[in-house]
Amino acid sequence: MRVVCTQLVKLFPGVRALDGVDLDLRPGTVHALLGENGAGKSTLIKVLTGVHKADGGTVLVGEGDDEPDRPVVFSGPSDAQTAGIGVVHQERNLVPAFSVAENIALQALPSRAGLVDRAGVREIARRCLAMLDLDLDLDRPVAELSVAHMQLVEIAKALATDSQVLLLDEPTASLTAEEADRLYDVVRRLREQGHVVVLVTHKLEEVFAIADVVTVLRDGRSVAGSVPLSSLTRSDVVDLMVGRAHTERELQAREVDRSTTPALELRGVSTSVGHRDVDLAVHRGEIVGLYGLVGAGRSELVRALLGLDSVTGGSVLVDGRSVTIRSVGDALRRHRIGYVTENRKEEGVFLTQTVTRNVAVTVWDRLARLGLVAERRERDLLATYQERLGIRLSGPTQLAGQLSGGNQQKISLAKWLAADCSVLVIDEPTVGIDVRTKAAFHELIVQLSEQGLAILLISSDLPEMVALADRVAVMHERRLTGEVENSHDYAAMSGRIIRLVHGEQAADAPPAA
Amino acid sequence: MSATLESEVRTRRGVTTSLHRTELVLAAVAVLGFTALAVTTQGNILQAGTLRAVLQFLAVPIVIGLAQMVVLAVGQMNLSVGVLTGLCAMVSASLMSDTGLPPWLAIPAGLAVGALVGLANGVLVVLTRINGFIVTLATMSVVSGLRYGINGTGTYQDYSPGLVALGRADVLGLPVVFLAAIATAVAVWVFFARSVAGRMLLASGGNPFAARLSGISNDRSLVVAHTLSGLLAGVAGVLVVALAGSVNASVGDDLLLPSFAAPIIGGVALTGGVVSVLGTCLAAFIVRLVDVAQAQYGINPRWVDLVVGAVVLGAVLVSQRRGRGSS
Repeated sequence: MRVVCTQLVKLFPGVRALDGVDLDLRPGTVHALLGENGAGKSTLIKVLTGVHKADGGTVLVGEGDDEPDRPVVFSGPSDAQTAGIGVVHQERNLVPAFSVAENIALQALPSRAGLVDRAGVREIARRCLAMLDLDLDLDRPVAELSVAHMQLVEIAKALATDSQVLLLDEPTASLTAEEADRLYDVVRRLREQGHVVVLVTHKLEEVFAIADVVTVLRDGRSVAGSVPLSSLTRSDVVDLMVGRAHTERELQAREVDRSTTPALELRGVSTSVGHRDVDLAVHRGEIVGLYGLVGAGRSELVRALLGLDSVTGGSVLVDGRSVTIRSVGDALRRHRIGYVTENRKEEGVFLTQTVTRNVAVTVWDRLARLGLVAERRERDLLATYQERLGIRLSGPTQLAGQLSGGNQQKISLAKWLAADCSVLVIDEPTVGIDVRTKAAFHELIVQLSEQGLAILLISSDLPEMVALADRVAVMHERRLTGEVENSHDYAAMSGRIIRLVHGEQAADAPPAA
Repeated sequence: MSATLESEVRTRRGVTTSLHRTELVLAAVAVLGFTALAVTTQGNILQAGTLRAVLQFLAVPIVIGLAQMVVLAVGQMNLSVGVLTGLCAMVSASLMSDTGLPPWLAIPAGLAVGALVGLANGVLVVLTRINGFIVTLATMSVVSGLRYGINGTGTYQDYSPGLVALGRADVLGLPVVFLAAIATAVAVWVFFARSVAGRMLLASGGNPFAARLSGISNDRSLVVAHTLSGLLAGVAGVLVVALAGSVNASVGDDLLLPSFAAPIIGGVALTGGVVSVLGTCLAAFIVRLVDVAQAQYGINPRWVDLVVGAVVLGAVLVSQRRGRGSS
């Protein structure tokens, strides 16, 4: 099936989210859809899948590779499905308590006299999983699967409605390198079977690894419409996305003074969520990376450390003193440890509150006089960090929910800086953030460490890890499998880190416990 | 993004895999409680008459618990189930006494009233987008008033000797009303386990967005859930009519807590998407044992409400802990 979109327009109050997008999806290709945050990728996907209705332009559908001639208008997700367009969203959209088979067949449950035909459900699931060459237990509730497997189940689910066009929105955002490779195999297989796979992503490595054709969106327009990827270089693509020459900043290896007492040190720590014998030290001015597979237990370690779960053994030392941290408030006020969370939307910022309040929330007790917080003090505080972090705002009363992802992340960071932390734990700082903001964020993190902050960086983005960290500790199944001094040589570093991720010893042994 | 997803998934995983465990624990508690009662009352409870009474008065709690469970499945609550049971009972009794309708017409009429009020609840929730808790709080008040509108504070009795005889009859040594409740439970089980409508309802409760993207109408699920809840309240009402032999407008006043107690103790997720018919029935039985113990030992009846309330709180606490603790 071939789908051709011409001059698609989608208006939202005050914004032209799509302003003339052309797209040609041909069978048997992997089509990368690129663009910075806000370029219109999500809106385009929503239009193609019937969630939004286009305000202008046409979508034509045709059989095989022929020039399409049948115009279609989708008035709901089921219309798009019927037309053969399936989507796997960034958020997992499965029913947790249902089995793998039932989730796959959910869109058209086979039934007899109003009762679900279970054999039919399993038959559909088996057929779809076979197309992906996957072997999963059909009766297992999806809640028990790993995130990577859930994603594959969603792809199988899209195939269940006979989707010829499959849209994958940031499919590898929460996958490890190995899981991503597995997904690429599935994508290639689908291409061989004559499907169109549309890949929305921020990762250029991914695009060059598996895509054939690329469409780049900028400010709601397609600046490159369905161009063969072979004719472009990596920097061409980046130029198209940012609209100007863009140079990736290389960060140099830094000297860190480790003779001082570590700002934060874990000795033989075990936790109620299963960590054992974790030794880790972060010095002032140092960025220590904590790398591992999704589910290795990195965020969980930090959560236990901050009192959200409990530390059951070993000792936690802050500036050399053994401490017990009972709550986040305790960590913040007594030990000056801040936690920039991974999910800024859910945990990092209060979306319906003003930016001023978001920044001041950690220090209200310090700003308050007689129990009342003066708005002026909050605004002064915001002004300080707005300048220091380069936060773009329309004004202090803007709601955090109206900011872009990158600016929200900065607000989240500002909140902890305002609290005058000496140790910052930063969890997945640049997930879902565009190339330009990402580079700025990296520089910011380095600057903070140069100002003397001890930073523990959790990231699943290996290039980011190699760019930023001074040392990388690797976690595997809730234990640290080793530590690597960062040489900033990507090829060498990635090899050593990946070996550790899979539980093999690194060339340089981890420091003795 | 993925951390909350994972934690949510962990919670759900705790709920789903612990459901069988919950049912096992409840079964064990039921057997132990029953044995303890039998032993401490010198076998009094095992006498045919007592045992009959235990099962007879278990029928309504089971059905009312199921009525609440059906709306919990879509993540909603129905505060009107108790008084609706009363309204349905009053309508059936009034049709038989005042209009002289035979039971085989009056009973379907009572059920229809329940389903209609449930339908109204569902449609109101969908159209107004007001939380079901508030909508049913309002309809609870309305229905309660209607209940008294039928016959004031008067009592209906002698409406149908045949129906009452049936309500007090036994089949194979088990009370008919109890068997009717069990049949209802089996029907509800089939609905959720096997029927397309039931699976769609659970999908809406488990992940509304995923359901929507799978072409399932969440609005339809809400309306179906509330209608079914009302219908089950109607079944409970009819059981009261058949069992009691006389009804007045106060029927249903004491049913709201039991309606929540059975599903919540039974392991049904308050967030929706997970139901347990067996757990709900077992929990209703356990609550019934508390009632029996009160009667057997001559404890002040007020203690029963206190105990049941505390157990409900405890059950919610336990299920939350379990959700957080398992990994």
